[in-house]
Amino acid sequence: MIERLLDEARRRARGADAIWRRVESTSVSFDWGRLKAAGATEEAGIGLRVVKDGRVGTAGTTAVVAAGELVDRALASADLGATVELALPAAAPLPDVPTHSDRAAGASLDDLIAIGRALLERLTRDGCQVSVAIGRDVSETRVANTAGAHAAYRTTAGDDVLMIGDGWDGCDLPPEDRLDALVRSITDRLERALRIVEPPEGALPVVFTPPGLAAILLPVTQALSGKAVLQGISPLVGRVGEEVFDPRFSVTDDPLRSGRAASRPIDDECVPSAPLPLVTRGSVRSFIYDLETAARANTQSTGHGQRGIFSKPVPGYTNIIIGEEARGKGEAVGELGGGLLGDMQDGLVVDELIGVGQGNVISGAFSHPVALAYRVERGEITGRVKDAAVAGNTYELLKKIGGFGNDDRWYGARHAPSLLLEGVSVARR
Amino acid sequence: MKDRLLDALRASRADYTEIRVERTWTSSVTYRGRRLESATASEDQGGCVRALHRGCGWGVASFTSLERLPAMVGRASELSRAIRVDDPIRLADVPPHEADALLDLDGDVRGVPLAEKKRLIEAYNGEMLAVSDRVVDTLATYGDEVTEYWFVSSAGTVLHEVRPEITLSGTAVARRNGTIEKGLESIGLRRGWRGAQDRGAGFRAAAERAVALLDAPGVKGGRYPVVLDPELAGVFIHEAFGHLSEADFIYENPQAREMMTLGRRFGRPVLNVGDNGAAPGLRGTLPFDDEGTPTQDTPLIREGVLVGRLHSRETAARLGERPTGNARALSFRHAPIVRMTNTYIGNGRGTFEDLIRDVKLGVYACSAFGGQTLLENFSFTAAYGRMIRDGHPAELVKDVVLAGNLFQTLDRIERIAGDFRWNQMGGGCGKAGQGPLPVTEGAPHVRIEEALVGGDVPA
Repeated sequence: MIERLLDEARRRARGADAIWRRVESTSVSFDWGRLKAAGATEEAGIGLRVVKDGRVGTAGTTAVVAAGELVDRALASADLGATVELALPAAAPLPDVPTHSDRAAGASLDDLIAIGRALLERLTRDGCQVSVAIGRDVSETRVANTAGAHAAYRTTAGDDVLMIGDGWDGCDLPPEDRLDALVRSITDRLERALRIVEPPEGALPVVFTPPGLAAILLPVTQALSGKAVLQGISPLVGRVGEEVFDPRFSVTDDPLRSGRAASRPIDDECVPSAPLPLVTRGSVRSFIYDLETAARANTQSTGHGQRGIFSKPVPGYTNIIIGEEARGKGEAVGELGGGLLGDMQDGLVVDELIGVGQGNVISGAFSHPVALAYRVERGEITGRVKDAAVAGNTYELLKKIGGFGNDDRWYGARHAPSLLLEGVSVARR
Repeated sequence: MKDRLLDALRASRADYTEIRVERTWTSSVTYRGRRLESATASEDQGGCVRALHRGCGWGVASFTSLERLPAMVGRASELSRAIRVDDPIRLADVPPHEADALLDLDGDVRGVPLAEKKRLIEAYNGEMLAVSDRVVDTLATYGDEVTEYWFVSSAGTVLHEVRPEITLSGTAVARRNGTIEKGLESIGLRRGWRGAQDRGAGFRAAAERAVALLDAPGVKGGRYPVVLDPELAGVFIHEAFGHLSEADFIYENPQAREMMTLGRRFGRPVLNVGDNGAAPGLRGTLPFDDEGTPTQDTPLIREGVLVGRLHSRETAARLGERPTGNARALSFRHAPIVRMTNTYIGNGRGTFEDLIRDVKLGVYACSAFGGQTLLENFSFTAAYGRMIRDGHPAELVKDVVLAGNLFQTLDRIERIAGDFRWNQMGGGCGKAGQGPLPVTEGAPHVRIEEALVGGDVPA
């Protein structure tokens, strides 16, 4: 299909690229401890982009339509489009990255149910409700363009997510030791949350756990996108080479991590994948770009084109690695607080916040009530705090990081340790 | 199509089977700054089969290729049989319905050339850019959708509907040196091309607000009497209370069941709350939900007392109540779950001026950038606010974040004005990976005796 479409497009436009993706998935969910539903999906669709007279247009469909009709629609879209000099990449050798697991691809419904039951048994206890969801996706992607680049790859993804606690995801089904770690992490968080204590108040040291870091890191990843640069709203624009953050802080996007669900050998615009350092030793090094934002910013695509069937490509991250230099290898789910609590007289460990992503995120200012946070007194966690809120500014806080935890781990597509940040504003309510 | 679906249905061996098929035409045009970012038209189609065998769980199969329909009916049935449940799933009865509900397309958007849609949103975008050179960036999106929908179930229901939808949204970003502020406009209507006309004033107002916020101080954090405008009051009742009324949350969770016991007092006698999927012409309005149950007006809180909740056929059977027509699916990619439709705080008495007359120092919180709740805890970011001083609205303030406990806050709603309105916004509601689902919220101005307003807290 994709070849026929590009042939048709080649005849009628200067250039074109396309993505075809087919996803087949199976999932089961245990809601409040009970298995009640199983789901299967089969979905396929195709997205086309054409360049005509320097103008770009897109069209997508999941329906069966003739190649000519889809090209018509893309050309109608291009008629209106602004001009942009897209440089469609030519064929190039691809890096090798494992993105497929036969075990996950071959997993049956019963296999998934068995994993879920085992997790449930180990997590169930009096007075607690446990929900578990397990899914397995097999997807097949083809990308190609009229400049001669084309690639096909298969990926698998397995994940399980627990409402109260934690999740795991990767290309394979979760291995036994990861499930152990998941159970330990959840049990630990739960047990320490049973006692409720009064929240402290004032400008205090706060440890943000790998899941809790979301509010701190979101402004930074938004600001490092070429899209924000072009819009003129990135506070990091024009600051390449400047030491904006603590000299031990680094951010890398790595699409070639073995066995991660976000890994891929090529992006959705036929640009081969490679790791990209964004912040090194506290200094801004680069931004992520897709073909279009790169063309507008007079630079090269960094291989971060991400594309759905119905939309045009946009810059998007793959696996984000945060940490001190040479870190980013840890897999263990460490002790809550990452070993950073010893010197803390009074403060918090923040594991989850409410309302992350609301408001004027890119400015770096945040203010959120806690969903799950613990009070630390004289180096020990004394219990969970409920009615508290934390506020601050990411850029101020990341200038001087009080400590990096020894608990580096994956949380979704982000790998990070806990970070100790000083002077976070903590309020009761 | 109907015959094709009924044939597939007859081949199912499950005790209950339903098939939904949708075909959706969408187009959208987006401007960023002075540049057209995209203009595109798409077509999406597919189906979802849900099957239930006695003593088993739900089997759900979704697909994009209609050729696969018979195979997917078999797959759903097979998935159902693979799950044994101790406590059988029952479905509350709903009389069978046959209906062809072809909503008025109000100017069928499929007949309007993309170039004309571009001209429309370009003009609205221009309204924002013309406000000031401080407006450094804008985002303006026109979106439309026509969905043709078929539903058949082994309970005897056969539905065919055509639904239009139109959304317009604008974001204006104003900047001076390091300060960046934004203003939002959002319109969502279950209407067609005609509904998108003459909307420029709202876009202009959003840009003017972004510019005005550049000079506004951040609100000083603390506890204040707070007046919510109808928009924020609507978002609040949807997010903080509405989700707790969804019976799928209640029926398996003993704590939630206790929290949501019918007859419990939730507020003062001024407080009335409901959800109305049958209100004419709103985005959350549909004749039937995605299980074939007719929609209705469901009272949730009457004079401060909890009197109802929102149901699917399954949750209604479980709690021994009647289905309310709230089982909705985002698209054929999902099974229906309990969702809100058009959720409202009922009208009170008097004007906004009456409401603030005796407030010496308070905060008037307006419109919403976002909101999130976790059980009884919530956080809302107002788009902007005004201080209330000596009974009058005073200076503009920004960074107005409201945080609190739902039950305390509901109980502190002391006065409700008589200026009810539906907020016909775009966007929608997200739950369990299904979003944005079109919903509407409505409310009058609402006064809360005291609430925590965040800002940076002095150390």
